[in-house]
Amino acid sequence: MNRGAAAAHTPRWGMVVDLNRCVGCQTCTIACKHANDTPPGVQWRRVLDVEVGSFPSVERLFLVTGCQHCAEPPCVPVCPTGATRQREDGLVTMNYDVCIGCAYCAVSCPYQARTIVHDERWYYGVETRQEKEVAHAERRGVAQKCTFCVERVDAAPALGLTPGVDPDVTPACSAACIAQAIHFGDFADPASNVSRLAAGNPVMQLNAELGTDPQIKYLYTTPAVPGREPSNEDEERLADPANPLVGARQTLWDWRAAMNWCFGGVSSGFAVLAALGAAAGAVDPARLPGALAGAAALMAIGLFFVFLKIGRKLRFWRAISRPQTSWMTRELYAVGVFYPAVAANLVAPRAGLEALAAAAAAAFLLCQAQILYRARGIPAWRAPLIPWMIFATGLLEGFGLVALAAFAWRGFAPAPAPFLPVAGLVLVLVNAGLWIAYRRTARARGIPPLARGVIGRAGVPLHLLGHAVPAILVAASFAAPDAAPALLGLAGIAAIAGGAFWKFAVIVRAGYQQGFALAKLPQRGSGERAAPARLTGLTAAPR
Amino acid sequence: MTASKKVPVYCYQCVSGPDLMKVEVRDGVALRVESNYDIRGAHPGGGRVCVKAYGLVQKTYNPNRIKQPLKRTNPRKGRGEDPGFVPISWDEALDLIGAKLRDIRARGLRDASGFPRVAVTTGGGGTPVQYMGTFPAFMAAWGPVDQGYGAGQGVKCYHSEHLYGELWHRAFIVSPDTPYVNFIINCGNNVDASGGVVGVWREADARVRGVKRVQVEPHLSITGALSAEWVPIKPKTDAAFLFALIHRILCERSWSEVCDLPYLKERSNSPYLVGPNGWFLRERESGKPLIWDAAEGRAKPFDAQIRDAALTGSYTVAGIEHGPDGEVIAHEAAAAQPAFQKLVDHVAPYSPEWAERECDVPAATIRRVADEYLAHACVGQTIEIEGVRLPFRPVAVMLGKTVNNGWGGYHACWARTVLAVLVGALEVPGGTLGTTVKLVRPAFSRTGSCLPGPDGFMRYEFNPTSREAWEARPQIRNAFRTLVPLVSSSPWSPALGPAHLPWLFQKKQPDHWPKETTPEIWFCYRTNPAISSWNAPEIAERLAEFPFIVAFAYTEDETNHFADVLLPEATDLESLQLIRIGSTKFTEQFWKHEGWAVRQPVADKVVDCKDMTDIATELARRAGILKEYNEAINKGAAGMALRGKDFDYALDPERPHACEEVWDAVAKAASHSLSHGSEVHGIDWFREHGFMLAPFPQLDWYLYPAIERQGLRFELPYQERIVRHGRELAHRLHESGIAWWDTQLKEYEFMPRYEPFPEIWINYARELGRDPQEYPFWALTSRSMQYSWGANVGLPLINEVANNISGHRGVIINRTAAKRLGIAEGDAVVIESVSGVTRGRAVLREGIRPDTVLMIGQFDHWKTPFAKDLKLPSLNSVSALALSLTDSTGSGSDVARVKLYKERAAQEVAA
Repeated sequence: MNRGAAAAHTPRWGMVVDLNRCVGCQTCTIACKHANDTPPGVQWRRVLDVEVGSFPSVERLFLVTGCQHCAEPPCVPVCPTGATRQREDGLVTMNYDVCIGCAYCAVSCPYQARTIVHDERWYYGVETRQEKEVAHAERRGVAQKCTFCVERVDAAPALGLTPGVDPDVTPACSAACIAQAIHFGDFADPASNVSRLAAGNPVMQLNAELGTDPQIKYLYTTPAVPGREPSNEDEERLADPANPLVGARQTLWDWRAAMNWCFGGVSSGFAVLAALGAAAGAVDPARLPGALAGAAALMAIGLFFVFLKIGRKLRFWRAISRPQTSWMTRELYAVGVFYPAVAANLVAPRAGLEALAAAAAAAFLLCQAQILYRARGIPAWRAPLIPWMIFATGLLEGFGLVALAAFAWRGFAPAPAPFLPVAGLVLVLVNAGLWIAYRRTARARGIPPLARGVIGRAGVPLHLLGHAVPAILVAASFAAPDAAPALLGLAGIAAIAGGAFWKFAVIVRAGYQQGFALAKLPQRGSGERAAPARLTGLTAAPR
Repeated sequence: MTASKKVPVYCYQCVSGPDLMKVEVRDGVALRVESNYDIRGAHPGGGRVCVKAYGLVQKTYNPNRIKQPLKRTNPRKGRGEDPGFVPISWDEALDLIGAKLRDIRARGLRDASGFPRVAVTTGGGGTPVQYMGTFPAFMAAWGPVDQGYGAGQGVKCYHSEHLYGELWHRAFIVSPDTPYVNFIINCGNNVDASGGVVGVWREADARVRGVKRVQVEPHLSITGALSAEWVPIKPKTDAAFLFALIHRILCERSWSEVCDLPYLKERSNSPYLVGPNGWFLRERESGKPLIWDAAEGRAKPFDAQIRDAALTGSYTVAGIEHGPDGEVIAHEAAAAQPAFQKLVDHVAPYSPEWAERECDVPAATIRRVADEYLAHACVGQTIEIEGVRLPFRPVAVMLGKTVNNGWGGYHACWARTVLAVLVGALEVPGGTLGTTVKLVRPAFSRTGSCLPGPDGFMRYEFNPTSREAWEARPQIRNAFRTLVPLVSSSPWSPALGPAHLPWLFQKKQPDHWPKETTPEIWFCYRTNPAISSWNAPEIAERLAEFPFIVAFAYTEDETNHFADVLLPEATDLESLQLIRIGSTKFTEQFWKHEGWAVRQPVADKVVDCKDMTDIATELARRAGILKEYNEAINKGAAGMALRGKDFDYALDPERPHACEEVWDAVAKAASHSLSHGSEVHGIDWFREHGFMLAPFPQLDWYLYPAIERQGLRFELPYQERIVRHGRELAHRLHESGIAWWDTQLKEYEFMPRYEPFPEIWINYARELGRDPQEYPFWALTSRSMQYSWGANVGLPLINEVANNISGHRGVIINRTAAKRLGIAEGDAVVIESVSGVTRGRAVLREGIRPDTVLMIGQFDHWKTPFAKDLKLPSLNSVSALALSLTDSTGSGSDVARVKLYKERAAQEVAA
């Protein structure tokens, strides 16, 4: 930064995009691809072709999308490494050399702005001379997104140029735009182009209700085209994957991620329930160290699946970097307490160590619950009931494994005690209730129709397999005490299967990204959407 | 790593260019493209380049490029035949062609039918000229060349607008005066996709300023999307809508209060008296058309002092009428009416209610749009431009492809221009302007081409239709001079003739016509008629009949599949050329500057290609016409005459000159002329600086000052001169026994009467013995800005970004209509017309009429690498090549009647 008179001024970089200028030509998209050398299929700047209404009352508009450099960026606090940060001037930056490619930022972005490319890609299948020259090995396997062409912006003071005014120091998309639809500048300077545009016209932000305060503001009116409120789009259109306003299913957190929640839930729940069982006299304390070791092994399997998934495996250790904000880091810290406690307890069993291990397992489960919930880019995950569901299901799965162990592991639970069936029943009821509430509130929580479809379809099998079967078997265990261990063991299997079933459904299949909600629209189009008649025309020549 | 440098070049891939760009180069490799921001203060599009320019780096390094000259080894030609191309050296290739050329020169340049033995086809809009170096000099030196084989011209272009626009107001292309306009009625004009950088830039500025644009079209295009209102009209009925607007103004509103009466009386032929036979009633002695001076109660010649020219009424006047072929009809006391009265009567039947039945637009909407047009017209207001006070009329009516060409195109063009004349909005600030001339000379100055002609109108060189001068034996195969008086005879005219007729006549010899022959050598450059013509598959069959094709070839494609020699010319970023920029050009490129810009090799060559200039020189040398070739360059065939009033940079005509040498001379002449000798720069200076500019007056955007200064009138609304040529042409053709052009001859009318134009396409099925009801949908096309002009279909980068825009993955169908047919998003569908079939994926949208389907761009490739794997449908595969679909100017329309069904259903039917 130059230290002149403006030294005290900290800019706030942002954009103003005019919906009545943008013609969807994709010049910004391709200029960005050139300036930033992005590989095939990756578009940091993308313009959607949006249609709302139905014939003969239709409106079409082009929506410039990309990283919004939010004032409250959901991607930054979740990052476990600090690779993604927010600068003082508002730019949300990426450090490719630090990022491990966990994709947590990508699923936390409600603007579909981030992606990870794991493989080498070339447009013709073979690398051309030019592609060789502009390759970016450092970006492989890590998160990437629009940088607002930070190198250009940062070069401005030394060159004595002004971002947003001089093309050489303006983001490529804005400089290249052939309609002057993308304005870049300093919102902290009231005299800047973007401040004046945003102050002098009605503006809207995308998905503003999520509290991200995006720094791309959209103009939507002209003297001939007033703005209007959005009309209710029918469900069918919002369930249409071809509709660009509808978020696609995320693929970055796939079945491997789901495995972490399955194994993580079972293992931590088991550790907690086993410890509680021991305290309640239902589990043989002597078997507890072994049980905890088993939990640790299961947890390791889950973590190994995550390890498989990340883009830069050798850097995985960097995930310990952000305990201040990232639940992913905190999960590792919980692991970091759990494993030593379990190991120490194996060597020298102590109640204190067991309590510590159980507490760490509970913390781990809490972290898992929070990780999913903080992924703000996926409406099905960020629902407020999700952390409760992950936690309660973990405990239910823990019950399941305890019950299974009680049946299969001689001496694990020597004396029949009401603890286990009662805990099981309570957990089944809580889980069933949570799922019902989750499904019922899904629409109100902004979960999109495609995800709601998955959730809706998962309900019956989940209630049958994960709730009804365990409940009946547990109830039967009261009626047939002789068969109780077997019945409870079966109930446990069903409970674990039910948990895995819904986690797969929600994480892998209902993981639809946040779409784009337009809070305001230009009033233009056909039929009812057309701009109003203007019979007292503009009669003056432009200056 | 060495530092990169940025090399200035221009992009002229589409007709709306040129725009200037820089290519970032490092170690001899072109890396990236960006706009040349150095010119942003002068270029009316902020110095930007559009999306297509960014494809040029990938174009350069496309691994599918032709890497050296190739020669065909399989003598059999056909779509299913492997050409068996084998590599040869440049010398071998040029020797082979040179020998053929010399042989032709020895035998005569024309064949037994009188047609040139050599033909050349280039892509549309004249853009190939901006890349072909001195090849035009080769053609000029050669002598007769048939440039009349169309690659889609007439169908793909604004044909009626080109021809009538040029006649009426030097408007080969029409544009609103976008920086000043306030209200635009846009019938199918897709300027926000096809208007280039400047069009998009200016229209966006205009919208933000407050322009209201009403878009009238069957599907909601890019431009429709950005308009305040979309009016979904039935295809090919725009003339009905426009006629009803005129009706509203003249028959329902008080026209004497809302129209620009001084403009009508003094700047149009509205007051010219029309005699009983429809011709202007003229003063016997002078032959000048008469005007009724209401103040004195007598008729006077149009150029006399007239105090109050009558626009309406009937008068008994003595005079003569000039009919065709010198016929003079004398009247002692003729009942005469002003042309304006004729106009009022002419449009009386075209009420909004009538139009609603015809074009499916509510009468109330038509009335409201007409009223809005009037409300914005500012009749009576003026504005000062560069110190001159001019009328200010910020309203415009724009037409788009398929509206302004083919049957009904004339009607729409006439109505649009009449709408401008009624409120005095033609060629004045804010109004409807032309931006370029191509048929009238001089081509570089619209205002300079505005010269006095007969009857107080601008001069216009019709192709002669008199008994003595009519060209009975066509000089080229499309017979533009023979059949189309209005297309004139400029270097552009051959391509604007009925450019599909050669293909049609090659298939079926017409009666009373020279035997249709194929050219002995056909050169094709930056064109792919086997994809871009109407009924493209049939064009491919015709190409297979050509004996010797020389194709300048970037990759293999559907046209050069039939070639005998492929020459890989140096492409956009590999060759050297200097071109004119600025002044006024299409589409919306009216500048406040004019000058020159360079295109140059930016990086190391990656294939064994050759600059077009060097190829042209070598061909000229081998054909034995080097001297004529050099002289052609000296005369200006490379864009600038090398000898001028006060300079002489002429090349020695006796020896071949290297590419650099040629363009260095052009650069010096160009800079000398531009700076009046004060700043002379060689080509190296241009290679460093990119461009050179001088001021161009904004006043020259408007024809009105030149018209007014010379006391001229716009030749509207009454079309006496055209009809006279039409009647004479009818005589000539009938004298020759030709009856196959009779339908076209009916289009010559004093004022066009509306015909139910859709019926022409609906009933075409009967010509092939089918029931029109089999084909219930209209199929249309629309511009893809990303792909426009089609040369970049082989670039996956373009494909990637284009796919963000709806319709690039298949055929757009109305969602409700598709549901009715059981077609879901992404389903494979068959689109079938009476003349062809094409296939693609269903793209369901709401912004299209239920009776219409839309196929963007031009695809259905079967040879071009990458493009052939896209499996995209194309209107060109289902449109018909037919005389009955050809209007009197020789153009057709991109429209067809089709049925559509799911691919699976088709297989079931087949089974």
